[in-house]
Amino acid sequence: MVGSLSVLGAGLAFGLGAIGPGLGIGMIAGKAIEGMARQPEMAGRLQTTMFLGIAFTEAIALLGFVLAFILQAAK
Amino acid sequence: MDKIGPGVEELLHELSVMTVNGHKVPVLGGPFVLTNYMFWLLVAFVVTLVFFIVASRKVSLVPKGVGNLAEMGVEFVRDGICIDVIGPEGKKYFPFVATAFFFILFNNLIGLIPGAKPGTGTMGTTVTWAVMVFLLYNFIGFQKHGAWGYIKSFAPSGDVPLPLKLFVWLLEVISHLVRPLTLSVRLFANMYAGHVTLGVFALFVVLLSEAAGPVKVLAVLPLALQIIMYAFEVFVALIQAYVFAILTAVYIGGAVHAGEH
Repeated sequence: MVGSLSVLGAGLAFGLGAIGPGLGIGMIAGKAIEGMARQPEMAGRLQTTMFLGIAFTEAIALLGFVLAFILQAAK
Repeated sequence: MDKIGPGVEELLHELSVMTVNGHKVPVLGGPFVLTNYMFWLLVAFVVTLVFFIVASRKVSLVPKGVGNLAEMGVEFVRDGICIDVIGPEGKKYFPFVATAFFFILFNNLIGLIPGAKPGTGTMGTTVTWAVMVFLLYNFIGFQKHGAWGYIKSFAPSGDVPLPLKLFVWLLEVISHLVRPLTLSVRLFANMYAGHVTLGVFALFVVLLSEAAGPVKVLAVLPLALQIIMYAFEVFVALIQAYVFAILTAVYIGGAVHAGEH
């Protein structure tokens, strides 16, 4: 019982944990493209900032991923 | 179905012990044995060394071949990361940032070779790097601003009530303490997850192609996905090296310019 529940928890941890960062990364990329289209000469700097923002947002999703492994090992 | 078990187990087992002819390889004569990750770290080390020795052997005004490639990379780290993020004094910290960048880049790329493992796909490597970055940038901060000056720089300057100042200072300290964790987990999880994903798709292809009857044809689907994922993982390998280097530069830059904003 605990084993199957921990597998379920692992799946939920990753699945639910990916929703927020997924939305966030989409927003970051979308806004960056908006900015680049408005001011093409800023594209280089915007891209650097975009990757930084994506890296920070993505870290949250990856914490869910690591947590999923920990939960799965708990069985 | 019982075939998928050991394959996945082998992929997920982070500290898989390396065996040569079924024997474990002891390291330093002690109780430690060579793991797959240690082996591929060493391979990446040798490849990096050979690459830069070959690149710097014939230095000419107009570089070509390997020299050109190395120069492009080094120039990108110096101008695109160090000087861009830290400012003119970024040149001083260029050796550290470049070492981090190329170490991670070569490890990531070597991990993509089928059968190899990324040296950065294990917590030991990434935590070591993250702690080194953490110690270095705090050391720079203390050196540049003095102990009290650096500690004070976490609080907002200007006309702010004292309780708020203390609260913001506490938040800043916590965010600094979390940095090594996110820095290491980001790199580890990206490389590890990518590695496992590629491995799982490869397993699907093998299992489907061994199936009886016309179901075999379906193996084309995971194969197509595998190729797309592979291209994406090459991109991730480059991006993660870039992200790690630029975050290192951002943290060092923050310590150098602490309290200036």
